[in-house]
Amino acid sequence: MQAVIETPVPNKTDARAGKYLTFGLGKEEFAIRVMSVREIMGVQEITVVPQTPGYVKGVINLRGKVIPVIDLRLRFGMPEQDYTPRTCIIVVNIEQEGARMLTGVVVDEVCEVVTLQSGDIEDTPDFGHGVATPYLLGMAKQKGKVKILLDINKVMSEQEVHGLGDALL
Amino acid sequence: MADPLELNELASDPELLRDFIVESREHLSMIELHLLALDQDPSDTAALNAVFRGFHTIKGLAGFLELDAIQTLTHDIESVLDLARNNSISITPAHIDVILASKDYVHACLRQLEQAASGAPCDLPPNTELLASIHAVAEGPQAKPAEVPAAMSALASTQPAEPEPAQPAVEASSIKVDTHKLDFLVDMVGEMVIAQSLVKHDPDLAGLAKPRLARNLAQLARISGEVQRTAMAMRMLPIRSLFHKMSRLVRDLSRKTGKQVELELIGEETELDRGIVEELADPVMHMVRNSLDHGVETPEERAAAGKNPVARLTLKAGHQAGCVVLHVIDDGRGLDAQKILRKAREKGMVDASATPAENEIYNLIFAPGFSTAERVTSVSGRGVGMDVVLRQIQKLRGKIEIQSTPGHGAAFVLKLPLTLAIIDGLLARVGNETYIVPLFAVREMLRPLPEMISTVENREEMVLVRGSLLPVVRLHRRFGIAPRSEQLSDGLLIVSEAQGKRFCLAVDELVGKQEVVIKSLSGPMRQVRGIAGAAILGDGRVGLILDPEGLFGRKAA
Repeated sequence: MQAVIETPVPNKTDARAGKYLTFGLGKEEFAIRVMSVREIMGVQEITVVPQTPGYVKGVINLRGKVIPVIDLRLRFGMPEQDYTPRTCIIVVNIEQEGARMLTGVVVDEVCEVVTLQSGDIEDTPDFGHGVATPYLLGMAKQKGKVKILLDINKVMSEQEVHGLGDALL
Repeated sequence: MADPLELNELASDPELLRDFIVESREHLSMIELHLLALDQDPSDTAALNAVFRGFHTIKGLAGFLELDAIQTLTHDIESVLDLARNNSISITPAHIDVILASKDYVHACLRQLEQAASGAPCDLPPNTELLASIHAVAEGPQAKPAEVPAAMSALASTQPAEPEPAQPAVEASSIKVDTHKLDFLVDMVGEMVIAQSLVKHDPDLAGLAKPRLARNLAQLARISGEVQRTAMAMRMLPIRSLFHKMSRLVRDLSRKTGKQVELELIGEETELDRGIVEELADPVMHMVRNSLDHGVETPEERAAAGKNPVARLTLKAGHQAGCVVLHVIDDGRGLDAQKILRKAREKGMVDASATPAENEIYNLIFAPGFSTAERVTSVSGRGVGMDVVLRQIQKLRGKIEIQSTPGHGAAFVLKLPLTLAIIDGLLARVGNETYIVPLFAVREMLRPLPEMISTVENREEMVLVRGSLLPVVRLHRRFGIAPRSEQLSDGLLIVSEAQGKRFCLAVDELVGKQEVVIKSLSGPMRQVRGIAGAAILGDGRVGLILDPEGLFGRKAA
């Protein structure tokens, strides 16, 4: 909190500025808005639902609610990896077709909560060769590291997310 | 009276206004009930008094809040009713019409007021016309003063007949609860039962083998089961409210179409989940409309056919084998199978050469856009309706059947589950997964002997069960799971039914039977064929509930 108050307000405020939860996926560090995060839990037993896309791991029991769980690695076309003790499920509140719902997202590890200023954030560079990246809000550099800002609602929307893995790795 | 509504100090208190609205609505629904009774039997003084009391209370409340439009109207209604109470007039359908219209007017006012309570500007609709018609019906019989003296003597005998003493006791024994709170309670109780079962099956606790612990756990299980049953019972509503909506509809429709219909209600006290009662209103309304418009003949036609000119429509509810069965029966002309078949052939829904069974012909009326009505009336005939009815009933996990005898009437039979929240299920294991098979879909279970199994073209498998060959659906193949054994005779077959055809579901083994609380799936798995939903099992894991229709339908497609 202190840091927020002390930092001078930038002239141009970016709608993307604010608090983010960062997590690791492969060698990349991603960030999603803290406001959309409901809770973080360790991996628990997931019930497989047949005839769903591969990145949909199944459903879990979140204190009596049945919520879907997706594997972000598979969603982004990254190679699958066995779950480790550091693997986490981030439960996010997403909005789809006007309805709010909870979804679990499997990530390699959860890092920290950071406050990103307008000055830290840049637009997504053009990767060329027609890679559509509507779910990328932008890139943030902090302490020499790049964090990829995700719009979690768009990541979850039904259409396929192609080629992000290739584009980033 | 059409002045914009100005709320006085009292009425601008949202709390008071809301109380007024809630209370008045209750009185209005009671008024309607008794009015319809009065329509059947104009000499029913108890009903007359009840109607009077209802309007009187509303008048008092409206006066308190200075809602003049409602007050003057209810006052005039009261005067009419008073004349009837004094036997100076006798209640005719014309009176009932006016009083029903007034009731609707007050109802409309309440809706306006409700908006006012939430800050929106509002004005009450004008009631001058209504007032005039009230005066008209009131004055007519007043011109006959000869009846008055007789009324004087009758007055004394009608007064003590008021059933006042029974009323307060009934009201005191129930309270109103916000439905959200109730739903939340039911949810939480469901969680509690699961948590209880987790404790009970905890391997560490089970290893202790202490008799006192076991006793206490059993006690806990018993109590939480009882709490769950009570919570569920709180969601149950008698079907009465739905039936009474229909009595109003039947009355209005029969007056509009010039048909004479007597409505008979049986089993009004049958209880159903609140959600089901609400969802049933539309389909039942459609069916009643259909019966009145297509089924019931005009009095002349009926007389010519040697039937009682007054038709009879029966709504009957009751329990049957864990289901609620609702009948909508009319004694009209019945369904014309030939006409339906002809229409279906015209529309190309049935091959010209095919000769479907009577039952299949009747089911054609559930197809979208199907109508045999020669002309479209304001009541029905557009061909939208029965398909909506079917869809709605299926959504409620119900079934619908048609029985019809030409010339003697038709019956629509609805079979509905008691509640939408819970189903009885069989837990079946396939590989490492546990699935829940709804008990209502299970006909029988068996372990097949190798000689019962035969194959078609070495691909499709069939099992001979008591003389009939049933196709086999291997759950592990459908869902892509590694089974415990590929041999059918090592596993179990669950004989199930979908689209009226029986088939066998092959699973590895049966774990047990459990009552589960249905949770719907969201997001990417909302529309997985063969999966109806999910439930939390005794060990806290999520189990998927199978949908036999979906499992079998896919195979057929």
